[in-house]
Amino acid sequence: MDMEHVWLLPAIPVVIFAVIGLFGRLLPRGGDWLAILGMGAVTVLAALAIVDFQGDNIAVWSEEWMKISDGSRVVELIEISTYVDSITVVMLTAVTIVTLMVMVYSVGYMAGDSRYGWYFALLSFFAAAMLTLVVSGNLLMLYLAWEGVGLASYLLIGFWWEKQSAAEAAKKAFITTRIGDVGLLIGIILLWRGSGSFDIQEIIHHAESGGFDQTYLTITMLFLFAGAVGKSAQFPLHVWLPDAMEGPTPVSALIHAATMVVAGVYLVARMLPVFDTVLIARDVVLYTGLITAVMAASMALVTSDIKRVLAYSTVSQLGFMFVALGVGAVTAAMFHLLTHAFFKSLLFLGSGSVIHATEEQEVEQLGGLRRKMPATTITFTIGAIALAGIVPLAGFWSKDEILVAAQEGAPAIAYITLAATAVLTAVYSTRLVLLTFWGEPKNRSVHEHAHESPPVMVIPLLILTALAVVSGFVALDGVGEALGFAGGIGEVVYEGAHGHAYALNETVAIGATIASLFGIGLGFIYWWGCAARAEAARNWAPELHALLVNRYYIDHLYQATIDRVILGLSGVVGWFDRRVINETGVDGSAQGLGYFGLRLKFLQTGRIPNYALAMAVGVIAIALVAFGTN
Amino acid sequence: MTPDDGYVLLALFLVPLLSGVVLMLIPSRERSVIAAFTAVSSLAMFGLSTYVFVAYDYTSAEQFQGVRAWDWIENAGLLGEHGIQLKVGVDGIAAAMVLLTGIVIMAGTWVSWKIEHRSKDFFILLYVLVAGVYGTFVMLDTFVWFFFYELALLPMYLLIGVWGSTRKEYGAMKLMMMLVAGSILIFTAIFGMVSATGAGTFDMEVMFRLAPDIDRNTQLLLFPMVAVGCGTLAGLFPFHPWSPDGHAAAPTAVSMLHAGVLMKLGAFGVIRLGFQMLPEGAEFWAPGLIVLGITGALYGAISALRQDDLKLMTGFSSVSHMGYVFVGLGTMNVIGMSGAVLQMFAHGVMTALFFLLIGGMYDQAHNRDISNFSGMAKLMPVWAVFFVIASLASFGLPGLSGFVAEVHIFIGIFRAYPVIGGLAVLTAAITATYLLRMFATAFFGDVNPRWTGLSDITRAERAAATVLAASIVLLGVWPSWWVDRISTTIATIPGVTL
Repeated sequence: MDMEHVWLLPAIPVVIFAVIGLFGRLLPRGGDWLAILGMGAVTVLAALAIVDFQGDNIAVWSEEWMKISDGSRVVELIEISTYVDSITVVMLTAVTIVTLMVMVYSVGYMAGDSRYGWYFALLSFFAAAMLTLVVSGNLLMLYLAWEGVGLASYLLIGFWWEKQSAAEAAKKAFITTRIGDVGLLIGIILLWRGSGSFDIQEIIHHAESGGFDQTYLTITMLFLFAGAVGKSAQFPLHVWLPDAMEGPTPVSALIHAATMVVAGVYLVARMLPVFDTVLIARDVVLYTGLITAVMAASMALVTSDIKRVLAYSTVSQLGFMFVALGVGAVTAAMFHLLTHAFFKSLLFLGSGSVIHATEEQEVEQLGGLRRKMPATTITFTIGAIALAGIVPLAGFWSKDEILVAAQEGAPAIAYITLAATAVLTAVYSTRLVLLTFWGEPKNRSVHEHAHESPPVMVIPLLILTALAVVSGFVALDGVGEALGFAGGIGEVVYEGAHGHAYALNETVAIGATIASLFGIGLGFIYWWGCAARAEAARNWAPELHALLVNRYYIDHLYQATIDRVILGLSGVVGWFDRRVINETGVDGSAQGLGYFGLRLKFLQTGRIPNYALAMAVGVIAIALVAFGTN
Repeated sequence: MTPDDGYVLLALFLVPLLSGVVLMLIPSRERSVIAAFTAVSSLAMFGLSTYVFVAYDYTSAEQFQGVRAWDWIENAGLLGEHGIQLKVGVDGIAAAMVLLTGIVIMAGTWVSWKIEHRSKDFFILLYVLVAGVYGTFVMLDTFVWFFFYELALLPMYLLIGVWGSTRKEYGAMKLMMMLVAGSILIFTAIFGMVSATGAGTFDMEVMFRLAPDIDRNTQLLLFPMVAVGCGTLAGLFPFHPWSPDGHAAAPTAVSMLHAGVLMKLGAFGVIRLGFQMLPEGAEFWAPGLIVLGITGALYGAISALRQDDLKLMTGFSSVSHMGYVFVGLGTMNVIGMSGAVLQMFAHGVMTALFFLLIGGMYDQAHNRDISNFSGMAKLMPVWAVFFVIASLASFGLPGLSGFVAEVHIFIGIFRAYPVIGGLAVLTAAITATYLLRMFATAFFGDVNPRWTGLSDITRAERAAATVLAASIVLLGVWPSWWVDRISTTIATIPGVTL
């Protein structure tokens, strides 16, 4: 496909959204086939565009959106524009494939839902917004799409809004990310203020030629990064993502694992040349990622809800990507983004298959499902191994890239923390697989009506499994060459100072593999068969366990802040408005006037002698004053 | 626009006035005739308004278009030639406001058909009010301008006092007293300006030419009188307390017109009499306007967080959004001030939609405390969808009207005062918080069995809501129709930086 027509990619789903949204009730099957056909077309078009992609960065298409002029001269021009480069290509690959898989899977998962058609309309809307985000060439349009995916996420988390918990989770997700978005919008406007443009390439050019003041740019990039922190659920704004699991599971797979939550990573990768000019801001990215990676992984260890474990895992893996960006390794970040999109959406869809079959998502109630759900068991296990980073599955290659980058470009603490997190990742992956699929069923009634999911759900699982196995190979020169990009992904994603051909660093690779195997071993020791050892793990350090179960008390802290500080302030302001401004200022002045009127009316007695007396006093007073001044 | 279009501008306020007269002749019991007649007449107003907006040629060098004048009093006393005249004409700002009025009055008429108590009288007063609004927007003579300004305010007292709810006498009285107090300031300022220019005429075009040369001290004195006088009507903090109570008390269509259009009349007055005539005064006091504006924006949003009454929440929300208008005006640059006018339009359609929906629900439930409701999205799905659209526009979701306005204001204020810009962006997040809190409580969750009798909004309400929602989307997606007209006019204001 011609690059000039890349705007078609978001245009198709937005039209489908409108059609299903308005006329879905008249269409057979609520219009799900239309959404899937449309997404299929988008996937094909994107594939054609990717094949055509020549490897150079190209600005493609722009159109005036609004302009400020004084009649003759244009003062301010705001455009919408598309832009395609290698980062876009990686994003397009992940977004189109996962969206299509999730849509197909949803036909089975959402069957019989009362808002079935509306669900597919929302998925199309999300796809449109996400694709706009990916292809946009300027920051204002990116912000537009950024809020669009946020809205889609809000509506889909709250899709079953009859449940109060879903409504609350949707609210929490939107408001938390919105706090980050305040920073994002401030950052975008500050960039515009310094460079006079919203165009990303112009801003990068301006920064690289030293057009910004360093302090100004540092502050600006930190604001911008706040947006990424919110969207990608990084510490301290990570709290919304686990709650977002209230949404339908395919939505979690699509939005909260593979696509929307990586928008923050995408934004920082896109703006990395600017971050490179202010290294303090880049260090903030690095340490934010690092703290998040280890913190989220530790919480995943003790979580008993199968989807929440995966949610923490996602937060942790996003932390890995930010660490890579923090050391400037954009290739490693984008590579991990791609493989993670495949194996994490696989894991989520697998968990969805379990939930669909058992209507249960507490691992304490599951167990022994391997006999009843063989396909789900195998695909989920492969996904978990990929997550743990065992050669030759996808996760191994991309995580290895990040570890190498951290070892080369960051203080030793970063590398050590990441390695420790890799162990934790292997432990919780193993725990999740063992508790869900192995051992004996813990709840007979749940186990009894469990069954394998229908083919429409299993086939996407199989396709994603295949991708989780092979997508790591794009790092290899030979595979890259066969796919049309010589040198593997390392050459493609970034040219210039960051680019390098993939070379396996044996020390790191062997170290990481040992770490992962050690983690898997730990998982087996504690959760293989014997419940007593799992109990022992829990009681090993009760305070630590309580800290993790309570999510480091961060949610409690935020809730208390909202209840006490923010609503308290609102109460004070409301009281001030009613009592001081309104009752004292407005009503008070009215009553004051009324009071004076009440008093002064007694001067009007209606008796002539009184008036005559007052007149006489007045005349004498005026006469005295007149004489006095003369 | 040609000078002959002046007759269209004349028709803008004659149509509602004459409609009022015709309504007087229709017997009150003929409700269907009244409905049919008001349908035609509101459609005519909408059509004329749209024509004015579309016909305004922003590429022309003429700032005021469709100018026509008829002398009333001249060469008498202080007055010289063309002393007081009926003079009509619009610039880009007025054209946008005329369109806003057309949209809101049409929607407001449709939702008022279900009023049963003295419906004829209601429409008469409503149309007198609208005649005043149109007159203010198109009049180019300060004396007659003030007449129409007052004509727009006074019917309010009866409309709220007779057809209102919730402490209606108190709300009506407070609203009237505060606005009339503001009018005294405006009236004094107008005479001050006319006397200071010394031209012996109230003609605005003459005053636009001469008033900027008024000596600095007089300008410094007159500008705050205009800003506070008109600002009271625009909900300028701390002169806003009439707004929440007034809105809570007013009947649906009156709330729609009042928050949707009348508050804009105040901001329009600040631009017309203040910024366009008193550039030195404006420049001196602009930082003060920004401070009051951002205070109002934050203050309204924070107050709205805890409000339980939907109308009070929307009332405080209006204070908050109108705060943005003053922030934008205070920037004194083209992009920020254009944003202010865009915000006037955007807030107008959005808040009209809010009040329409709240009214549609209140008429059935006779209750509008958020905490009393839950699961409303199930009971009134269409209603809920429209409410969500209005809310998304309210907290500035890109692609809807609010964002276009806000982004202009933000860019303008960041150019002038970045820290206040940061606070302005933060306000948008607080707005999202109180609206989403309301959704989570009232719209979602289990259906409260107490309200199972509620039915979705009526067909007329749906049509009206569709018109308003369509305006929200249009401004959000094709902003250039508005931005072109407004920004070229803003650029002609003396003292405004590009």
